[in-house]
Amino acid sequence: MAKDINEAFLRLTGFEENEIAEYLPQWRQACEKLGLTEDDVKFATEERLPAYFAVELEGIRKLLGCFVKETIDLTKANEYKERGVKVVYGILPAILHYYYALKLTAPDKVYVSFPDIFLTMVMNGFFHKLAPYLEEVEKAGIPYGCRHCALNKTRYAARRLGVIPPPDISWIWGFICDEGPKTDEFICLYHDPEWKTYITRLPHDQSLGTVEDEVIDRVEYLANQMRDGFESVQKEIGIKVPEEKITEVIGIWQRYAAKLAELARLMTADPQPLGAVSGRLFWEGLFTPFNTGMESMEEALDITIREVKQRVAGKEGLLPEGAPKLMIYSIHPTVPWIAKMFEDNGVGIPLSEFFILTKKQLTSPTFEDPYMAAAEGWLRTSGMVNPGYQAEQICEKLETHKFDGMVFGLMDFDRWLGSSHRLLARMVEEKTKLPVFYIEGDNWDDRDYSEEALRTRIESICEIMKMRKA
Amino acid sequence: MDILEELAQIARTRPEKLKKQKGKGVKIVGYVGRFVPEELIHASGAVPYLMCRGGEPEPPDAVIPYMLRFMSPYARSQIGYHLLGIDPVVPMLDLIVAQCSDCHESRLADLLEYFKLPTVRLGVPPDWKKSLSRGYYQKRLTWLREKLEVLTGDKISDEKLKKSIEFINHTRDLLSRINLLRKKQPPPIGGYDIIRLNHYSFYCDLEKLLPKLNDLYEQLQKGKSPFSREAPRILLAGHVVGMGDYVVPKLIEDSGGVVVAEFLDEGMRQCAWNVKTDGDLMNNLGETYYLLRTPPSIFQPAWEERVKIIKKLIRDFNIDGVIWYELSFEEIYDLECSIISKAMDEVNMPFLKLESSYEYSREAAGPLTTRVESFIESVKQRRS
Repeated sequence: MAKDINEAFLRLTGFEENEIAEYLPQWRQACEKLGLTEDDVKFATEERLPAYFAVELEGIRKLLGCFVKETIDLTKANEYKERGVKVVYGILPAILHYYYALKLTAPDKVYVSFPDIFLTMVMNGFFHKLAPYLEEVEKAGIPYGCRHCALNKTRYAARRLGVIPPPDISWIWGFICDEGPKTDEFICLYHDPEWKTYITRLPHDQSLGTVEDEVIDRVEYLANQMRDGFESVQKEIGIKVPEEKITEVIGIWQRYAAKLAELARLMTADPQPLGAVSGRLFWEGLFTPFNTGMESMEEALDITIREVKQRVAGKEGLLPEGAPKLMIYSIHPTVPWIAKMFEDNGVGIPLSEFFILTKKQLTSPTFEDPYMAAAEGWLRTSGMVNPGYQAEQICEKLETHKFDGMVFGLMDFDRWLGSSHRLLARMVEEKTKLPVFYIEGDNWDDRDYSEEALRTRIESICEIMKMRKA
Repeated sequence: MDILEELAQIARTRPEKLKKQKGKGVKIVGYVGRFVPEELIHASGAVPYLMCRGGEPEPPDAVIPYMLRFMSPYARSQIGYHLLGIDPVVPMLDLIVAQCSDCHESRLADLLEYFKLPTVRLGVPPDWKKSLSRGYYQKRLTWLREKLEVLTGDKISDEKLKKSIEFINHTRDLLSRINLLRKKQPPPIGGYDIIRLNHYSFYCDLEKLLPKLNDLYEQLQKGKSPFSREAPRILLAGHVVGMGDYVVPKLIEDSGGVVVAEFLDEGMRQCAWNVKTDGDLMNNLGETYYLLRTPPSIFQPAWEERVKIIKKLIRDFNIDGVIWYELSFEEIYDLECSIISKAMDEVNMPFLKLESSYEYSREAAGPLTTRVESFIESVKQRRS
């Protein structure tokens, strides 16, 4: 059974027949390291993935495969380190250009990862088995009651459990929350003195409504912070990255972003051609570096776009034509039943606000200097700026994609991204007059907010939307 | 303790006083956080007013329709009283300077602006070891100075700033001398009074405050301690004891202990660090406020250094036990608590974590009292 179920899992996640022989032993080793049993793999293969992901599409199967390959790779990080490969971590959200630029410069000498993202996505999204990781750290210094972020807990747990080695450098960004970077300080002092960190931060001190990417002082400060951080990382690991590598990565990123914009347009077709969770995983490519590279992700995206176009042309959808559609702040494949519950109740939530781009984000940067360009791009991103500017961007996205309303929340664990949602809801509702909802919940960890706990809230929202649309 | 009562009375009647001053055209500037130099506000001719209320559950709850509920009750309180319509000062403020060193403070600033309160933000980068960050804070101080000058219409001359720095240095010196009296066993004054004294010192005119602090020092030096010689000596650590949030320090002392030292980031004057009065005064302010004083928990790196400081306090003040006073959902302090708890365990120092959402109803206070009493009792037994 073991061989069959693991083979079946790899086949379901888009591995070609000629790849399976190579990857099967690696996958089994990865399972052992991650604490996954044959029953877990069976559950993912026969229940979880078919229930929440459009595995009938080749593009989606290949997309899932990219995450599986990256997770296998992650479980080899200890071996990489032993072989002298430099290990560089980061956390979400960060600009991944620098991590990729390292990889492009010295592909065999550096390993880059945001390990918590892949572990969380795969362990909870595919197997619904993140709880042992979270529980591991809840008894070791990060208590349950304070609503700490599951990503930070997972990073710490992965180190405690030996899944990942200490990094040569963890370049930690505190442009959003405080807990992300402070967790690294915590890991170093509480558990592993080898856990080396470099921190880059930006104060949240802009007035409501400030168009931050047009405040030159701010763009410059951020660019200098990034330059300083990246130079420190290069110095630490002894790899010198030419600036043209950053520019090259920006080009790749923009090409991928443009394709995602096309997928976003297709996802909002009527009827909605693809479930929110399936599409959402592609957006991870904009914010999280894959040590295994972007090529497979891009290939999966190309195939998916082609397949979804066919569905749109054939008016094939998972909801009836004319069904209400809501934009949601962020839907995470880690808790895939949330999106499915909306869809099962006749309301689409095809896109996550956090990940779709405004018109301004799709325009070329004003600056040639790669750091200035990256800083400007960052300050054009809705989640990174003050709520006044963020609300303007949300309103633009609602208008562009003709949404019927918006859902905020599900970010209880984040004292930055999640803490403004009630205020944003008011701002957006005042401006657009569209119905705006707030759901208290946690997109990474569904131990507290189970399906049954949220069902009434989601069903009520759906009923309201259907009545309004009728 | 008549002097303390006099100061308490001045603090209580502060809103009426401010109203009168405002009527005469004096600008009132509220500020949130320890990185806003009151010296600058004072030198601009405006009256500084520290916003640091806490200790009641209703004000933070009033903010929930606008903010995630898993946010600091202290940050939420700073606007919560206003939203309930029971803050006599906030509506009359001509300017609020909101320190933005962490998410809780920045979200507070968002709400202050959303409710059309005249707010400016003072960005404080937590990556404080970098010259870039130091430069950022310094630049923001200069920007704040200009804002204050525009507000009051008065230029902040070096002479005015120097006078203001000297006054506040003097205040710190006096508070520091009073504080150091607590090295005695038993101490002539406990933490409950010291914390209130710090709070009152933010709400009195400096000209009136200084002689009173002087008198208090003289009185304490000569007077008899109200504490028993056997009272366990407690270090109270954490983020902040807000103005009005006195349940825990009082409970410790009512339970037979005495708070002889505090390790709190906000709501206390950082008395050990005076601002230099020669050379570039703005630079001196930036250096003292940003670099020299104990780094707050949010700074990075900070915790290793903070553990060393706590250990030094333990030695200097002959501490018998540490009580960590944490406000609910303050995630950074919650992480730090584990670090400090581990460090205390390594040196065999009794440690108690208390957590509060400012819920001090009879039902909530019961278990809290039991925990504090048991801790004091166990520390007492350990000493004997």
